[in-house]
Amino acid sequence: MRPAGARPVIDRDSLGVYAAGSRLFATGAAESSFHLALDWAGALLAEGAAVPVTDAAGLPPETLTVAISLVGSTAALGEQLPAGDEPVRAVRGLERRLGRTAGAVVALNLAAENALLPVITAALLAVPLVDGDGTGRVFPLVEQTTYTLGGVSAAPLALAGPAGDLVVVDTAPDRVEGLVRPVVLSLGGWAVAACYPMTAGVLSQVLVPGTVSRLLRAGVPGAPRSLAAPYGVRTLCRGRIVAVEGSTGHGADLTMPSVPASIVVRESEGLGRLVRLEAHNEIVLALADGAPVAMAPDQICMISMADGAVVDVDKAGPGMEVEVMVVVAAPAWHTGRGRALGGLRAFGVPL
Amino acid sequence: MILGVDLGAPATVVAALRDGVPEGPIPTRAPGGVRPAAVWGTPVRAVCVAVDLDTVRLAPVAAIRVGGPCPPALGPLTGWPEGAGRAVVVRGGHSLTGRPVAELDSAAVAEFAAGCGLTDFAVTATGSPVLAEHELAVAEIVAAEVPGARITLSYEFGQVGLRERENSAILNAALGPYADDLAARLGRDLPGVPLFFARTGSGLVSAHYFRRYPLVCYLGAFTCALRGGATLAGLSDTAVQERRPATCDRRAAAPGVGRTGGEGAAATAVRTGMVTGGLPRTGARSDLPVRVNLPLPLTVEADTGVAVGPLAGEAGPGWTVPGRAELAVAYGAALAAPVAEVERIVQARGRAELDRALDDARDEALTRVVSAGAAPGSARVAATTVNPLSYLPDGLYRVRVTAEGATP
Repeated sequence: MRPAGARPVIDRDSLGVYAAGSRLFATGAAESSFHLALDWAGALLAEGAAVPVTDAAGLPPETLTVAISLVGSTAALGEQLPAGDEPVRAVRGLERRLGRTAGAVVALNLAAENALLPVITAALLAVPLVDGDGTGRVFPLVEQTTYTLGGVSAAPLALAGPAGDLVVVDTAPDRVEGLVRPVVLSLGGWAVAACYPMTAGVLSQVLVPGTVSRLLRAGVPGAPRSLAAPYGVRTLCRGRIVAVEGSTGHGADLTMPSVPASIVVRESEGLGRLVRLEAHNEIVLALADGAPVAMAPDQICMISMADGAVVDVDKAGPGMEVEVMVVVAAPAWHTGRGRALGGLRAFGVPL
Repeated sequence: MILGVDLGAPATVVAALRDGVPEGPIPTRAPGGVRPAAVWGTPVRAVCVAVDLDTVRLAPVAAIRVGGPCPPALGPLTGWPEGAGRAVVVRGGHSLTGRPVAELDSAAVAEFAAGCGLTDFAVTATGSPVLAEHELAVAEIVAAEVPGARITLSYEFGQVGLRERENSAILNAALGPYADDLAARLGRDLPGVPLFFARTGSGLVSAHYFRRYPLVCYLGAFTCALRGGATLAGLSDTAVQERRPATCDRRAAAPGVGRTGGEGAAATAVRTGMVTGGLPRTGARSDLPVRVNLPLPLTVEADTGVAVGPLAGEAGPGWTVPGRAELAVAYGAALAAPVAEVERIVQARGRAELDRALDDARDEALTRVVSAGAAPGSARVAATTVNPLSYLPDGLYRVRVTAEGATP
């Protein structure tokens, strides 16, 4: 047991708890890539190494910090395994472009493998991991971060792929996503990105703070799931999925992530409402008997009543018992700019 | 008449299914055999065997991975017990977009195959759910170097996720010799009668299929306990527990009941993409080396349900014991029908191409279910699911087709 007030570390003993915490609200987490990242991190920490977790404000303000994230497809990561040097190559590539050395890494978001890759990177570079991240939840695009809201650009950004390639992208913030996607495909479908280079002083102003140490508490067996939600979480309803709509024929159940899908949940207690969940990759809007009751940028997710795991939109099926939960987004997302970047319109719903 | 055979401890139990009605136990001519001691009025149309393979002896496996270098913690045979076999990583493979990663290092394959001293091979190539050509090429080299080698190719298990697919292939290869012996022995006992084995989750496969892909039958008896117990009790949605003397205490459960025990601190050694574990057990059987990571069959904690097996009466209050509870596993096997699955990653630009790819996958599933023992006229596609892979180019889909049929 660490003495109270001691700085948290991620080591052999706490890695499992941290990893469990990272899955409490993670949608779209692929088993294969998550376990791969966990085994990789576990091997790096097995020899007694430990990654110190530090407050951004606790670092010298001029320290260069770099955000680390997987970009591309988790399925591709699970299939074409890392050589192991991708995180180091990405960070070194960015350092060469900047002419400065990184003194700490920070996460882009803390869902599943994206929580583990920064730990792997910090362990490989022997630098601390900053206690916080750039979303407080998960968004699909590299630019959908509180770093962007704080005026920090994702570029220059370095991508290291599994075949030994390194690509440095230097462009305007709003062109990053469009440039990165095709590059990542050419790299093999996934890459480790080192992005959002900034000083610790700036980082301390733009990150969602304390989220790493929060997962270290939330992942403890028996801890309430709500611990993983820094700005609060509420249960929208408990019920049974009665319909999943949005299939487009082919004589099969075709779930296009880019095509809207609706999940209808019949509340099994209380008012017995019909709760309709509108999804674009992820659930972005919840209607109860026709009235909006939750929407992006807050995160809406379904938790399986059978095993407590997050149910992905493309795995939802009629008959499943779920608890629909709303994770309140960080205050930065509830500003005009935050809603423009992460709200309903950003997901193509013109409400 | 169809015979259902429960190969579980403490003794083999044979039941007969005549006009849908279970009869038994049927005395056999020799202990452990399947040939009925008496001649029956109706001919035996098929023998359906239920067996769990989670405690059988595993043969050492030569594991060949085709792909790039990786951290040792992610290498082949990592997490397997000492003596599980020998492994090599050779250059080659494809990315999920179908692009070659590197040319196959055929010389390295030949050198390893010739020098490993093993005959059960598991071959896993990066990207094989999209393009299996490097796995097929490795198989050809191995067959030339090691006459009589038994070779499992991972693409037959379809799933994306190289390590899980590789572990499936290794476990399948390790079960090969046992499955071979078992199928041969039971086949000799009742020659001329089609022999089937119960799959994990649902359905049957032919003995021929079982010898090549025993992994799909890893928890066949577990599955049959659920099917047989629920059917005997006339229920479709129930927890089922099976109680046997001393050796094991199996619990199975239908989906939608109760809660899982959670991942807990189970001693996970390796992960496969197949249903290979998740049975809480007591008694002489130890914890499983391989745990579930597919959703069915769920193991749940339940206070009520159906109890089957020779000691069903000891299950306690809340547990209904149906008539013929001791026959549940054998009965469950006799009730099953052939099933086969195909899982692929397909590339399709536009709807017409996707429809063609789906037709190909359905044809292959139908071919497989017939080769798994279904009467040709009875084969049909039971389910098709298509999911696009996120963050990959449009036109990459995960396709899964299930076909089923009837025993001849």
